[in-house]
Amino acid sequence: MTRWGFTIDLERCVGCQSCVIACKAENGTPPTVHWMKVLEKEEGEFPYARRTFTPVRCNHCDNPPCARACPTGAIRKRPDGIVVVDQDMCIGTMACMTACPYYVPYRWDGDGGYFGETLTPYEEEKYAGFKKGTAQKCHFCYHRIDEGRPPACVEACPADALNYGDRDDPESRVNMLLRQKKHFRPKEELGTNPSLFYLTGKGGGTIGGGKS
Amino acid sequence: MSAKGLSDMKFIMDFQVQRHWNWKVAFYLYGSGTSAGLIFLEVILRNADVIRERTALYGMWIGLSLALVSLVFLFDHLGPQARWRFLYVFRRPATSWISRGALIVTVLVLLRLLILLPSVPGFEGLPLGENTVGGNALRGAVLLFAAAFMAYSGLVLSSWNSIAFWNSPMLPTLYIGYSFLAGMAVLPIVAALTGGQAELETIGTVIWPYLLVLLIANGIGLLLYLWGMSSGSLPCRESVRRLLQGEQRWSFWAGVVGIGLLLPSIAVALALEGQLGSGSTPAVVLVAACLAIQAGGYLLRDTVLQVGVYGEPV
Repeated sequence: MTRWGFTIDLERCVGCQSCVIACKAENGTPPTVHWMKVLEKEEGEFPYARRTFTPVRCNHCDNPPCARACPTGAIRKRPDGIVVVDQDMCIGTMACMTACPYYVPYRWDGDGGYFGETLTPYEEEKYAGFKKGTAQKCHFCYHRIDEGRPPACVEACPADALNYGDRDDPESRVNMLLRQKKHFRPKEELGTNPSLFYLTGKGGGTIGGGKS
Repeated sequence: MSAKGLSDMKFIMDFQVQRHWNWKVAFYLYGSGTSAGLIFLEVILRNADVIRERTALYGMWIGLSLALVSLVFLFDHLGPQARWRFLYVFRRPATSWISRGALIVTVLVLLRLLILLPSVPGFEGLPLGENTVGGNALRGAVLLFAAAFMAYSGLVLSSWNSIAFWNSPMLPTLYIGYSFLAGMAVLPIVAALTGGQAELETIGTVIWPYLLVLLIANGIGLLLYLWGMSSGSLPCRESVRRLLQGEQRWSFWAGVVGIGLLLPSIAVALALEGQLGSGSTPAVVLVAACLAIQAGGYLLRDTVLQVGVYGEPV
């Protein structure tokens, strides 16, 4: 059985925001909803100051706190590990937003488009897929994954900083990168067992991230 | 024409304050918790014959109304999507504390309705009154569910490790204490409304010492909670800073501490010493003190929600 995983190489990310735009273009998320973000941080002091970039998105945890917190069962895990929101079941309790330690989910209340209250034809078509007052989050571009195509953010990254693959396949791209580079998972100590790995430098370690 | 959204938004690696759960959720936690505390104490005090049947009945109606109003606030917070599909909220009691809370508060409301039914014209003959087997069983169940809801109002927050300031066993303990405090402070108001000064004095002889003890105990509980959090992780300490010195400092110091704890403590202590003067002055002061306790109870829930800070996501 496939178990999708995701790697983000922090050494390679240049903060170009291509992944953010690609995600927006692919999924047509409204202005207040960001499934993919690139966080910036300024570190050090002159003359050694530098700016670092950290792409963040849903970690599709093996033990997702959002799914546990959801009282309606709207958030579920697919057999391949992708965590999805059923908008027909979601009633907007915002429990997932509060419970997620990565503050990933958003609630969309239908507050217009990028160019004001009147939507463009593109926005009209795309926003029709979003239900007002429900939780929204990255779904790993499952519509593309199911067709054998990579997620939009991975495809758009010009620096090859983003990669995905099967965590159960030792020869997958993800496991190959994990063997080659040092890595960590965000807030692993909380027991969420994220399927996202940040690569930080040479010298690899265990692959697959264990099983929940 | 320019696009909005990306240009006016910058994602910086920093603490994020939760803004999803606002004053409406705070009112829900306060209203339902106080209502549960009220009904719990009312059953106990009525059984001990401290309060009259009429006061108990009015208190029960007020408690029920408070619980229903707080539920209205909760559903209003959820938005129009929830109104017709709110029943979904009961689907996941095995994992979700919100689901558990919705179940507990619904059962509690139903139990109260059953207790109140014999007081409604046409239902007097139901064997659910005081000192009947059915009535006693109902009141026992009410005690159980009221205690469960008081604990729930804190557990729903402390169960999540996303916000370190809430993720403490002290929080449910504090909220149970505050539910008892605010619930007990409703009783004198009900007594003053139903039986005037005479009834207030009757129950006051029993209630005031306990109310003072609860005020002091909750003050100590709050102090211990904040002391524990102030030596916690970085997001924890940031939450404490926001509460004591940041954007919520006025609500906390003036509202929670001053109006909610200190002034009522002084008023009740003076009443116990017989220093509040004569005539209707003591009754007015003490009812005002009880109302101040309600304000403090609400502000505690609100400020705790408002200063909830997530750690950095990575």
